[in-house]
Amino acid sequence: MACFCIDPTALPRRFFLTLACLSAVIRPAISAEVPPQSMAEAISICRELSRASGPDGQADMAAKADQIAELPAEWLAPCLVAFDDATPAGANWLRSGLDRAADRFGDRLPLEELATLVGDATQSPRGRSLAFLWLTGQDRAKADGLLDTLLDDPSLDLRRQAVEKLLASAGGQEQAAHKKTYRRGLAAARDIDQIEQIVGWLAEHGEQVDVAEVLGFVRQWRVSEAFDNAKGIGFEKIYPPQTGELAQPDTSGWKAVASTDKHGAIDLNAALETKKGVLAYAVAIIEMPRAGAAQVRIGSPCAVAVWVNGLPVMAHEIYHASEAIDQYIATTDFSAGTNSVMVKCCQNEQTEPWAVDWKFQLRICDSLGLPLATQLKRAGDE
Amino acid sequence: MNNPNKTSRQIMAACVVAGFVLLCAGANCLSPVWGTGLAEAADASEWPEFRGSFGRGAAEDETIRSHWSETEGIAWKVDLPGKGASSPIVVGDLVVLTASSGAREDQLHILALDKETGRTRWQRTFWATGRTLCHPTSAVAAGTPASDGRRIVALYSSCDLVAVDLEGRLLWQRNLAIEHPRSGNDVGMGSSPRIIDDTVVVQIDCQGDAFASGIDSTTGVDRWSVPRAKIAGWASPLAVTTPNHGACVLLQNSRGLELRQAKSGSLEWSWKGECAGIPVTAESGGIFYVPSDGIAAVASMAKDAPPLWRSTKLSCGIASPLVWGNSIACINRAGVLGIADPRDGQLRGQIRLAGSFWASPILVGNVIVAANKEGKTFLVSVDNEPTIVAENQLPGTFIATPAVADGSLYLRSDSLLWKVAAP
Repeated sequence: MACFCIDPTALPRRFFLTLACLSAVIRPAISAEVPPQSMAEAISICRELSRASGPDGQADMAAKADQIAELPAEWLAPCLVAFDDATPAGANWLRSGLDRAADRFGDRLPLEELATLVGDATQSPRGRSLAFLWLTGQDRAKADGLLDTLLDDPSLDLRRQAVEKLLASAGGQEQAAHKKTYRRGLAAARDIDQIEQIVGWLAEHGEQVDVAEVLGFVRQWRVSEAFDNAKGIGFEKIYPPQTGELAQPDTSGWKAVASTDKHGAIDLNAALETKKGVLAYAVAIIEMPRAGAAQVRIGSPCAVAVWVNGLPVMAHEIYHASEAIDQYIATTDFSAGTNSVMVKCCQNEQTEPWAVDWKFQLRICDSLGLPLATQLKRAGDE
Repeated sequence: MNNPNKTSRQIMAACVVAGFVLLCAGANCLSPVWGTGLAEAADASEWPEFRGSFGRGAAEDETIRSHWSETEGIAWKVDLPGKGASSPIVVGDLVVLTASSGAREDQLHILALDKETGRTRWQRTFWATGRTLCHPTSAVAAGTPASDGRRIVALYSSCDLVAVDLEGRLLWQRNLAIEHPRSGNDVGMGSSPRIIDDTVVVQIDCQGDAFASGIDSTTGVDRWSVPRAKIAGWASPLAVTTPNHGACVLLQNSRGLELRQAKSGSLEWSWKGECAGIPVTAESGGIFYVPSDGIAAVASMAKDAPPLWRSTKLSCGIASPLVWGNSIACINRAGVLGIADPRDGQLRGQIRLAGSFWASPILVGNVIVAANKEGKTFLVSVDNEPTIVAENQLPGTFIATPAVADGSLYLRSDSLLWKVAAP
């Protein structure tokens, strides 16, 4: 047996802390990172940061963020526009530099410039969202005042706060006005919890709203027979529906299933009887108002794959880890008018009581979550 | 133990000695008996990673006060900017912790508080680049950050890994869910990173693209990356030093253990057997104490050997086992604390605590500190039979493992960080 030992006399950590402190003092003096000399240069560095990707060359990014951290206050708002084409990593590099710069000014940030940026919906949602955050830290009333105009905002964060404020404003209103305000909030809301909150209040006050309709779930499906998924073999296996052999579900004995679930779920246990180690396909025909990209949003506790007009869109081989509305999102192109959506939903052989569910829910939305697809009543629909 | 009032002369001496060591030896040539690398040099004024120095969860030389409440014995409390299951760490004069916030919980915070006052020194916020769904009990900020005294690394459930220096300056980031598109777990990930031998080790166990990586702590570039079985898991890597292989990392999933060299990732040893998915294996004297169906004691480096002993009377729920001296302690799902002899697994005593335990117990002096989810922290004397010597209630929900440094205890609730004053 090997002898394991841990020596508590290792090099003192405080040595490195001391070095870190010394470097904090010395760095500004020896830093090669000269702050930008013009706003154009500053924006250019911000754009370089915003394009960062991958693990290589990050010392370079850190040095650029150091430069941005030294910007004068009046350049911060213009630099926030650089978020517009930021990569995920780039957005964080840029934010790290700009936040440090903002920290230097405490409550002396240029409010008007920030407010103007927040109000300009053509600018980057992330940049505007950050501007709003800084503004809120310095002048909450001014920031709140901007929310009235942000109910239909392309920034989900700003829109959410605008809806929150609108709903709060209904508190003192008499019931008819209150309902009207909430309906306005419902039209603007994109976050599921806010929609549920509004629908719940309306229901308590005698107004039933079909949540599945509001969220735009695709509810009319044709479901295939069950195929083998013992030991999970079916997820990768190509069964006839994937080959086009059963591409006409109207005529090939597929079962019409309509969701009556509040959240648009198609319960395959109910449709095909409860089974384990199987999979099924479901096909829906939807209508899109125009051609172009849209998001397919699916939620399922089971492994799922999705095709649109015969082309693969996404595949997630995850079983019984979680379930949520909009759990998996992928963007794909749709045709104007009629489109087909096919879901492959796989059940495994887990025996725990929480692993019984075999279902999915799906909707087609824009990037903010506004439902886009409609369904026409077809012969044989439930 | 470092004296916080160390004179400048002493610091200079430390610098000279340490500098000499670095110049002459280089990090690679450090003696293998140095434990788990520079990150884990034991220092009572610090608690640098999940379960403290070495990840042992033990601070035998410390003493904490026995009683506190919302209004008594509290040095300070601080409102947190978001949720978190992560523990605070203590680095130098900073208390560092992570949090996540926002409707989509995609705002990832790392904040440094002044250890003495609780005042925020700095806070950095990043946007999550991976999935942020998680069980409501947990949070995207689930993994405890780690520090080597020069930098702090934080890993979030979104598989975002960030490294900042002690001033909050972003040094590097890795968007691991972008690099491994099917990584992550919608229940939430929970593994904490470790810094071992200048290598940040992350363990991403999930049903999708599961992997473990060793990342250069200076540059943020992979030293190694290996795929792992597609099994969900929440265990954290454990730093282990062997005389033969130097600084290593122990990786655990439900099918067994792997011991890899921290810097190269080379597989040095593995053991196939049932392991729990959440509590982390403990190591002492070359024996791994593996949470499984009970505890299995496995001789490290023994090839295909059966466990030395297995005890179902000693079982872990979510909390990790605690090993010190000649004792091993576990808290089971029913909230019963059991203490056994690690040589044979014989149970020495049991005591029923109350509530559910997500936080792992830690040892401070001769007292086990066990914080239940409901906000009650039990102090259990382990001198002889385990005996509850104090029960201290704070408001809120507590799922983060406590930290201890300089005789102060740090307890994180769902909305606050409490510093229990030193005695």
